[in-house]
Amino acid sequence: MSDSSATAISLPGARSRVRQLGRLGIPWLLGVLAILVGPWFLDAYIVNILIRAFFVATVALTVDVLWGYSGYLTFGQSAFFGLGAYVLAIVFVRYGFGPGQALAVLLGAMALAAVVAALVGWLSFYPGSTPLYASVVSLVVPIVLVQLLYSGGAFTGSSSGLVGYESFDLSVEAWFRLAGLGVVAIGLLARIAISSDAGRLLSALRDNEMRCAYLGLDTPRIRIVLLVLCAMVAALAGLGYAGFGGIAAPENASFTFGTQLVIMVALGGRGTLVGAIFGALILELASAYLSGSLPFVWELIVGLAFILVIVAMPAGLFGSIRDMAGGLSRKTAGPIVSLQTLPLSDVQSPDEIAVEVSGLGKHFGSLSVLSDVSFSARRGELVSLVGPNGAGKTTLIRCIADGHERSAGSVKIMGHSIDRLPPHRIVALGLGRKFQTASVFESLSVADCLRVASARKHSPSFFTSSASLALPRAALAVVDTSGLGDRLTEEARYLSHGLKQALELAMVLALEPKVVLLDEPTAGLTRVERQRFGAVLTKLVEVERLCVLLVEHDLDFVREISSRIIVLHQGHIALDGTVAEIVESALVREIYSGQHRDRRAGAAS
Amino acid sequence: MMMIILDITTTAAILFIVASGLLIVFGVMKIVNFAHGAFMTVGAYAALITSYLALPAIAAPFVAFAVGGLLGAAAELLIVRRLYNRPLDAILATWGLGIVIGQVLTLMFGREVQFVPAPVTGTLAFLGNDYSGYRLLLLPAAVVIGALFTALLTGTRLGLATRAVIMNETLAQGLGIDSTRVRLLTFGIGSGLAAVAGAAVTPLASVDPNMGLPWLIGAFMLVMVSGGSLPTLALSCFVLGGLQVLVSTFVSPILGGLTIAVLAAVALRLRPEGFARV
Repeated sequence: MSDSSATAISLPGARSRVRQLGRLGIPWLLGVLAILVGPWFLDAYIVNILIRAFFVATVALTVDVLWGYSGYLTFGQSAFFGLGAYVLAIVFVRYGFGPGQALAVLLGAMALAAVVAALVGWLSFYPGSTPLYASVVSLVVPIVLVQLLYSGGAFTGSSSGLVGYESFDLSVEAWFRLAGLGVVAIGLLARIAISSDAGRLLSALRDNEMRCAYLGLDTPRIRIVLLVLCAMVAALAGLGYAGFGGIAAPENASFTFGTQLVIMVALGGRGTLVGAIFGALILELASAYLSGSLPFVWELIVGLAFILVIVAMPAGLFGSIRDMAGGLSRKTAGPIVSLQTLPLSDVQSPDEIAVEVSGLGKHFGSLSVLSDVSFSARRGELVSLVGPNGAGKTTLIRCIADGHERSAGSVKIMGHSIDRLPPHRIVALGLGRKFQTASVFESLSVADCLRVASARKHSPSFFTSSASLALPRAALAVVDTSGLGDRLTEEARYLSHGLKQALELAMVLALEPKVVLLDEPTAGLTRVERQRFGAVLTKLVEVERLCVLLVEHDLDFVREISSRIIVLHQGHIALDGTVAEIVESALVREIYSGQHRDRRAGAAS
Repeated sequence: MMMIILDITTTAAILFIVASGLLIVFGVMKIVNFAHGAFMTVGAYAALITSYLALPAIAAPFVAFAVGGLLGAAAELLIVRRLYNRPLDAILATWGLGIVIGQVLTLMFGREVQFVPAPVTGTLAFLGNDYSGYRLLLLPAAVVIGALFTALLTGTRLGLATRAVIMNETLAQGLGIDSTRVRLLTFGIGSGLAAVAGAAVTPLASVDPNMGLPWLIGAFMLVMVSGGSLPTLALSCFVLGGLQVLVSTFVSPILGGLTIAVLAAVALRLRPEGFARV
C-alpha cells in the first residue's frame, strides 16, 4: 500500500517517446514533400484524378475515425460530403463567384453539416442505442438527401446536378497541393487527437460503451460531438471537390458513395488513418484507369476483394502490416512514467445515509421480479445482498444504477433522488458499479483503462498523452496490492481473469465514488485472490468510508466481511440484519438449505 | 377511396413478400443480409429466363426459389458462416456479395432494362373498381408465403429447431440441435424467398442488374421495426406501406418514397427494441 504522495514507477515506454515521435513524423513529412513536388513529375491526367482522390480521402479519414476508432459503422458520410458540394454549387450558381460568396459557402457548408449531424446524432445515439440502429440511421441520411436533391428542381439541378458555375481561379498545381496538404493536415490532426488522452475515449467507446456510461461518461454526447466534427470535415472536402470539379451531382451524396467510402477504409485498414488515405487514393486511381477498359470486371474485382478482406483480413492492408510489425511484442501504449496519488477528499459526515431505496418494484408485464423493496445503507457499511438464484439481486443492482430500470418506488444516492436519470448522471451523484463479468477495455492498456475512468473528473487533453497517471488513494491501493502496477502498459486483454476483476474495481474506485455496487466480484477467483479481495474491501469501507453493496453467493465470504446482510427471496426483502442475526435465522437455513447441504457434502468428500 | 384501400393492401402485400426473407435471416442469425437486394435481382432474372424459355409463368417463383436458395446456401457456406461473431462485418461482407452478384449479372445479361410480361394482364373488376389483376394476385401470394412460413416454423422439426436457436442458441446446441445446419437452411430459405420476391415484383417494374437495391432499404427498415416477428412485420407493412401510399398520393411521390425509411428510423428511436411485443 502506498500512502506517500507520489509513487513514481518508471517504465520503459518513457525513453522511446522521442523516437516514437520521430517515427510518426517522418512518413508525414515524406507525404508533404511528395505532394509539393508531385505536380512537376506526374502527367496532367493523374494530377486531375489525384486532386479528386485527395478530397475523397479526406472524407474516408472521417469514416475511419468514426468506424475504425469509435466503432460506429456509417454509410452516411457521403451525405455531408454532398451537402458541402451542393452548398458551394447552389451559392455560386445563384449569386455568382466572389470572396463574400466564398466565405458564405465555407461558413454555410460547415454550419449546415453541423446542424444535420447534430440531428442525425440525436437520432442515432441515446442511452441504450445499438450499433446496428446507428448504422441504419446513417443509411437513411444519404437516401433522404438524394431524394430531396432529386425533387429540388432547378434549385438543386435534380438528377443531373449543378454545373457551369464560376469557381476559384486556381491552377491545377495549386489545387493539387491544396487538396493534398489538406489530407495530410486532417490526417495529422486526427492522429494527434486520437493518440491524446481524450482520443483513448473513442477506443474505450468502441470496446465497451456500457462500461463507459458507468464510468460517468456521457457517451451519446461524445458520439454526437465526434459526428459533428467529422461531418464538418466531410463537408469541407465536398466543398473542395465541387469547387475543383465544377459539378455537384446527386452521386456525391449517395448511399452508394457512402458504401464506397467504407470499402476504401476496409481495404486500406480500419483504425489506421493511413489505410483510409491510401485505400481511397488507390481505389480512385485504379477505378479511373480500369473502369474504362474493364467496366464491370473492375467492380467485380473490388467486390471480391472487399469480401475477402472483411472475412479473412479484417485489419485491412495497413492494419495487417502494423499487426505483423508490432504483433510479436505485447503492445505498449506509450509513455506512462509515474503513478501519483490524488489528494484525499475530506469525508465530512462519515456515517450519513448513502443509499436509500424505498418501495422499489420491477415487473416485466405481469411478472413481478422485485416488489416493495426498501432499505438504506450508510457510509462505512458493507451490506451484502444474498439470496437464491432468481431472487432479484442483480435486478436490484440494475435498478439502483440506472433510473430507467425500476417500475416503482424511489432510490436516493447521497440524498439525491435518481429519478429517471441515465447511468452516467447517477455516477455523478457518487455511485460506482462493478459488473458481474470483468468489464474493462480490452484493447486499451491498463493505464489507459484507468485514465478513461478518471476522465469524468479530470477532463483529458485533446493534444497530448500525459506521462503520469494520478489516481485516488483507494484505486492506487488496488493497483498496488493486485500487482497491476507492474503491467500498466500492457493491453487489458492479456490480463488474467483475477487481474481484470482487480482492474475493473480500480477503475470504479478511480471515480471516487461514495457508493459501490459489486455484483459477484469474487466469482471465478482463486481462494487467495478472494481473501485478498476481502481484505481490500473491508479496508475501503473502514478507511474511505465507502458504502459497499455486495451481491454474493458464497456465504462464508459474506459472513467474514459484511457489516450487514440483506436476504432477498422471490423479489422481497426476507431479512435485513447483522451477520449473527442472519446466520442464526431459521428462514435463511430454509431458503438456503439446498445450498448448505451441498457445501457440507462438498467439504466432507 | 376504394382505390386507395386496394393500393394500400397490395403495397403491403408486396412489401411483406420482399421483407419476409430478410426477416427470417435476421430473426435466426441476428445478421442483416445486405445481399438481399441482389438475391431479389437474381430471382427477377430467373423469371426473365422462364419467360424466354416459354415455360408457364407459374414456374417462375419456383425456379427463382431454387436458384436463389442454392446461391444463398453457397454464400452462407463460404462467407457468412465466418462472421457470426461480427454482425457489422456481416453487413459489409453481404454488401460486397451484392456487388459481386450485380456485376456478374451485368456481365451475363448486360446493363439494359428488360421486361417480363405479367402472367395476369389487364384489370379485374373488384368491388366495383377496375384494378390491376396482377397486383390483386399478389395478395393471396403474400398470404400463402406468410402461412407457409408459419407452418414451417410451428409445424416442422426444422421449425422447432429454428425457434430454439432464435431463443437460446447455446442451450439449443447443448440439446443436440445442429445450429450450423439450421443457419445454412435459414440463409438458403431467406435468399430463396428474396428471389421469389424478385420474380414477383418484376411484372410490375422492369429488370435490371441494380433493381433490388431500392427494395433492400425499405425491407430492411420494416424488419428492424418489426423486431423480428412475422405478425408485426405484416402489421408494419400495412402501417408504413399504407402511409407511403397516402403520402405518395396526397403529398408527393418523392416524399412517399422516403416515408418508410424516415418513419421507421424515428419509430426505432422511440422504441429501440422494435414492435415485436406491443
